[in-house]
Amino acid sequence: MDILKNEKVINYSLSFIYACLIVFFVSHLPLVFVGVLTLICAWNFYITLSNKPKPNAWLANILAGVSLGLMLYTVGMSDTVILFVAMLLLASLFKLLQAKTKKHYHVITTLTFFSLSSVYLFNQSILTTLTVSSLYILNFAVLGLLESKHNLKIASKQSGKLLLLALPLAIFLLLFLPKMPAFWQLPGPKLAKTGLSEQVDPFDIAKLSNSDELVFRAKFNEEKPVAPYYWRAIVHDEFNGNAWLTSDFLKYNNVKTNTQSENDEQLIASYSVITEPAIQKWLYGLAYSSSNSPNVEGNSLGLLRKKSRQAKSLQYDVNSFNFTTLPLGEFEEKRYKYLAYKKNVKTSLLAKNLKQNTHSDRDFYNSLLQYFAGTGFTYTLTPTPMSGDNTIDQFLFENQRGFCGHYASAAAYIFRTAGIPARLVSGYLGGELNQDNNTLTVRQYDAHAWVEVYLQNEGWVIFDATAVVAPERLNGSLSQNEELNDEFKSNLDFGLVSLSNFPAINWLRLELENLDYQWSSWVLGFDEEKQNDFLKSIFGSKNIWLVPLMVLLTAGFCFIGYFIYLNLPKRPAKLAPMVKEFYEVKAWAKKQKINIPDNLTPSQQLDFFADQLPRSAQSINTFRQLFNQVRYGKKPFTKERKTQAKDLIKLIKISK
Amino acid sequence: MHSTVTAIIEDLSSVIFGKQQQIKLALTCLFSEGHLLIEDLPGMGKTTLSHALSAVLGLSYQRIQFTSDLLPADILGTNVFNSTEHSFTFHKGPIFSQVVLADEINRAGPKTQSALLEAMEEQQVTVDGKKYTLPNPFFVIATQNPLYQSGTYPLPESQLDRFLMRISLGFPPKEAEKRLILNMQKRDYSQLPKRINQQELAAIQTQISQITLSSPVIDYIIELVNYTRTSNAFASSLSPRASMALAKAARSWAFIDGRDFVMPEDVQAVFASVCQHRLGLHNESGEAQVNDILKNVLVPV
Repeated sequence: MDILKNEKVINYSLSFIYACLIVFFVSHLPLVFVGVLTLICAWNFYITLSNKPKPNAWLANILAGVSLGLMLYTVGMSDTVILFVAMLLLASLFKLLQAKTKKHYHVITTLTFFSLSSVYLFNQSILTTLTVSSLYILNFAVLGLLESKHNLKIASKQSGKLLLLALPLAIFLLLFLPKMPAFWQLPGPKLAKTGLSEQVDPFDIAKLSNSDELVFRAKFNEEKPVAPYYWRAIVHDEFNGNAWLTSDFLKYNNVKTNTQSENDEQLIASYSVITEPAIQKWLYGLAYSSSNSPNVEGNSLGLLRKKSRQAKSLQYDVNSFNFTTLPLGEFEEKRYKYLAYKKNVKTSLLAKNLKQNTHSDRDFYNSLLQYFAGTGFTYTLTPTPMSGDNTIDQFLFENQRGFCGHYASAAAYIFRTAGIPARLVSGYLGGELNQDNNTLTVRQYDAHAWVEVYLQNEGWVIFDATAVVAPERLNGSLSQNEELNDEFKSNLDFGLVSLSNFPAINWLRLELENLDYQWSSWVLGFDEEKQNDFLKSIFGSKNIWLVPLMVLLTAGFCFIGYFIYLNLPKRPAKLAPMVKEFYEVKAWAKKQKINIPDNLTPSQQLDFFADQLPRSAQSINTFRQLFNQVRYGKKPFTKERKTQAKDLIKLIKISK
Repeated sequence: MHSTVTAIIEDLSSVIFGKQQQIKLALTCLFSEGHLLIEDLPGMGKTTLSHALSAVLGLSYQRIQFTSDLLPADILGTNVFNSTEHSFTFHKGPIFSQVVLADEINRAGPKTQSALLEAMEEQQVTVDGKKYTLPNPFFVIATQNPLYQSGTYPLPESQLDRFLMRISLGFPPKEAEKRLILNMQKRDYSQLPKRINQQELAAIQTQISQITLSSPVIDYIIELVNYTRTSNAFASSLSPRASMALAKAARSWAFIDGRDFVMPEDVQAVFASVCQHRLGLHNESGEAQVNDILKNVLVPV
């Protein structure tokens, strides 16, 4: 049986790795199951700490069976990816609880590599990458500890060195190894961080304001268009009494037609967007958007969609145009005016009154805006919950407190009652602009809902009642809005954004975001297309032999690197204090054509120099004393002594 | 402490002229708690040196003249029957003294030599199965005639090893000899001032053991020792005991020089005395050989 020297350290390290993993997966796994994992991890930590024996096989098996059942019950079978991750974590932790021999620990460390890698299924940001990399180093160190008698510090150093050594190879592989399409892909895990939902129920978006998770970043190619930025994601055209939905008709009959002109005159902006991984197909664009990127398709509403349902980050280019002013088709017009539920009697009355007092749709539009601006409406992130079949009435005439969803729902309802085509759009408003690289960062709390109204001769026009109720909301991200700031922050999980009052932290946050943007665009977004461009820029047009050549080169690079590493001359040991300085004096003396007898001791040599160079004798003598005291007297080589030595050398050289 | 040492050296120099180096070496040996072997022709001042040393240091002194018929009991002492008490009482021999001058040690037979050398090693003697502890400090200064003189029993290598150092006084310089002749009257060593007592000597010895011995110096010692082991020029090479003796002696030398750290120069100063007899080199060519070692082994920086 193998005797493990560092069993305690190994146990601590592995427990630590799994504790980190549990923390990471907290938001993705059911809390009960997280609790089970935490218990096992803590148990292992405890028995290591108190030198207790590991539980016997029977107990562990029973516990494992129970936990497995609990896992199936709480996690469920619907999402295979999260189930796989849960099983992996559970199995590794139980194995750790049982591990006694070297072989066991080998199995666990190997499993841990898988567990660590599964983090990337959910998050690939640079922070995650760095954290996971350091855990990789720790795991490699544990692997090293299994085979050696070193302590953890040395083992970590070694594994860190190994990982650094692998870095150039990784870069080379990223740049040159041909990107091949995946043989099979995991279906993306369903993420709880969805920004918007298919239906706008005003209560839904209140939860969103609490999240500062990143949604996407946009980088403008040339000039920024005029703010505010309404990032359209979903159009809702059907009202069911409480919520606005996307009708099946809109879902399936929206093939792009040529009615919208995509000429340069109408172009508002062109930009590229990098989204965070999300399972939803919708993408984001300003006004009427179209894209030439291969994985993206546009539709007749000017919305963008992913072609495949893959939860990975996606980069695409967008051209945004003004909406056409062509008249709506008869069927379309009907659809956008249709209201299936008309239980909000007071609201209907209000709409009729407004209609009677105005002469055109434009007039109506303006007076409705004035209505929202004047009648005591307030913007809040914590509205009063409402229920019943006349929620819009309740909102408009009783509570008058709400956020974008409320205002948008009410406005769309009023427009339709008044016979003006209207639809509700949800997406994101604004974003945080980083002036340095012209990049806009949009987070979940930027989620917004507004109304698009079709006005004669003007086309689709944005009607945002929130804008008049809380004009600050338009000026940028919620985080930059002073009035709502406190409320916003108290609603927000503790994070860097909630500390944006401090300029230094804000600066740091922006820098981190910038770094993360570079990471997404250069590393994560380095796909086949980009690689081809890159290779073309180096080798000219793409040749058939390029791929095999790259494969060969990669293999060659590995072997040559290994060969060089093996034959690298050993670095000379670090010189002891004062030795370097002594050699410097000696070299200088040699330049003065002084032949030093070989067999003198260092201080005798210095004496010899002093004899030969009477002008520097005094400095050399002082230097000799310093040398003796540091080198032989073991006096610490402090900064003062260092500078003294340097000064003496200078003096010696000057007084030639 | 160091001023006392300087005073001691001055005192000794007033008795033995022109031999400062040898005086310092003898002191080094004493401070290192080692025994000293002086090899020289008769009449060079060996006895004077040892006598003066014990006087200055305030130690009890005995001189044993070794002859070919000297027996172990003559050195160690014997049990004598006391007729009034009807019992044997132990009569201590001359070895029960803090400084013992064993004159012409190589004139006595091997048995007697061994008795002395065993006492040196153990710092105790056994007579008729009973142990008697020797005084502390116990310092043997043995003198030896050059081996080519007749009627000598050479000390075997293993026993030479027991002496920390071997020195030879050599002829005095002309000036010193002139002074010698001028001050020819009989000297009284008890007139020399007693500079330190036993406690102070012990304090000096602990102080010496705390002197810094840095790694470049240790490296140098190891280089030196290794040189004798790899070279074919020596009958016997230096043992680890020799390297320890070197380190010990170098520390004392540094102390006498008034430093609290050892330098390669200290090792060089004591090297010949500590190592020549251990290498089986006796005559003058041996001295040249030892100096060759110092020349050939470069001092690490």
